Amino acid sequence: MRKYTLPLFFALLASAPAQAAPNPRLQIPSFSGLAQKATESVTITLDPALLGLAVKFLDGNDPQDAATKEALKGLQGIYVRSYTFDRDSAYQQADIDAVRTQLAAPGWNRMVETHSRKTHANVDIYIMLDNHQAIGLALIASEPRQFTIVNIVGAIDLDKLHKLEGQFGVPKLDSDASKPAPAPRK
Amino acid sequence: MNDGAADSLDEHLDRARSGERAALAILVQAHQRCVYSLALRMLGTRDLAEDLTQEVFMQMNGNLSAIESNRHLGFWLRRVTSNRAIDQLRRRARVQMTSLDQEPELFGVEADTDPLLQRHVQALLAELSPPARAVLLLRYQEDLDPVEIARTLDMPLNTVKSHLKRSLQSMREKTIGMPPVRWEDSST
Amino acid sequence: MSHDIESRLHSALRPVAPSDEFSQRLLRRIVLRPVVQPEVRRIGAGGRHPLAWWLTASLAATLILAVGVHQHLQQQRLQQSGLEARREVMEALRMTSQKLNLAYEAVKSQSTSLTDEQSGA
Repeated sequence: MRKYTLPLFFALLASAPAQAAPNPRLQIPSFSGLAQKATESVTITLDPALLGLAVKFLDGNDPQDAATKEALKGLQGIYVRSYTFDRDSAYQQADIDAVRTQLAAPGWNRMVETHSRKTHANVDIYIMLDNHQAIGLALIASEPRQFTIVNIVGAIDLDKLHKLEGQFGVPKLDSDASKPAPAPRK
Repeated sequence: MNDGAADSLDEHLDRARSGERAALAILVQAHQRCVYSLALRMLGTRDLAEDLTQEVFMQMNGNLSAIESNRHLGFWLRRVTSNRAIDQLRRRARVQMTSLDQEPELFGVEADTDPLLQRHVQALLAELSPPARAVLLLRYQEDLDPVEIARTLDMPLNTVKSHLKRSLQSMREKTIGMPPVRWEDSST
Repeated sequence: MSHDIESRLHSALRPVAPSDEFSQRLLRRIVLRPVVQPEVRRIGAGGRHPLAWWLTASLAATLILAVGVHQHLQQQRLQQSGLEARREVMEALRMTSQKLNLAYEAVKSQSTSLTDEQSGA
């Protein structure tokens, strides 16, 4: 069995063409209609000021906090919207299209498209590059009863993200660019 | 005060401005009689006069840099004492001047002063408004001329003259029948 | 006549010396104090209107207290905001890693299937 590690979009960074980098910050809709139907909503908006404040309250002596602190360095913002429903198909893919449209614009590179037959989850991961340096990440995860949008703005450091392994359940990353690209989604 | 003494006080003022405590003490001693007398005759009681005197010298202590000369200091002390006393009197009910019989030392009567005269003067001061009282004291206690009084109290010259005229008239009415004052003997 | 009256007034209004005790007290207070302008205020008949003194002192005390309370509340709010921001950061990274894991699992699952197909062929 060929062991497949998850480099995914990170391993392809070296070969990905450098493009002019517009704003990596996504304009995320309010989703007010969906929020009313959802049984659980998560809205996280961490701009540079709040990130800076959060860092001050991270304990450097705690391993998790210390790894988080390192991962946050260079980041300008973290934006999360997540909605959970009590039944399948409570939302439409069209509801998320306003975000996908932005990710089709120049600057964004779709690095991963995955579909799990087991969980019926689709996860798309996009990266924005500037001079071969990741300056933005967008993740859209849609599952039968939940969808999540994550937008991270700033200099994403592979090594630091790698060091979060085990802290939040982040899988091992292989940043070796020689690894083959993942299989395309069916 | 002769010129020599005045020059000396000017020197003390310079030294007091630069922080010399002994020089400051000399200035206080030189001017405390004037300030205390004004305060006492304006306010009517020793306690009030002592408080005001202390306040005035405290204020002086903090304003020495603005005082140009000993003469200027004298002007400043009279001005501040008079104005503060007037302010106090305006805020209080009319001060009841007690008679000499009740408080013989009320106005620090000098040993050789005619007690009857003192009584008349006390009565005169008691009936005057605070500004008029200040005018009278600056004229006859401090020997200032009307122009200097007007400058000290920031009062129109005509108003000063008017106060003086009325005060003299009142004093005249009170002292009718008294023997004339002789310059060489004031202890009658 | 006028001259006579003025003479009387001059005579009666000669400057009066304060008591020796007061003079000494005055010198001690003035000379020994630092050269600032503290104003001695006696409460009651001896000084300015008593209400003004108390009002000023009360206002000053209230102001100091208000500033202190405000700073304390600000500090509390800042701490709350900081802890909330920290919580949100942890939650955001947890959710991100969870979705990354989803993608990993999906890719791993596909890779396994592909390998099984190849070996079965």
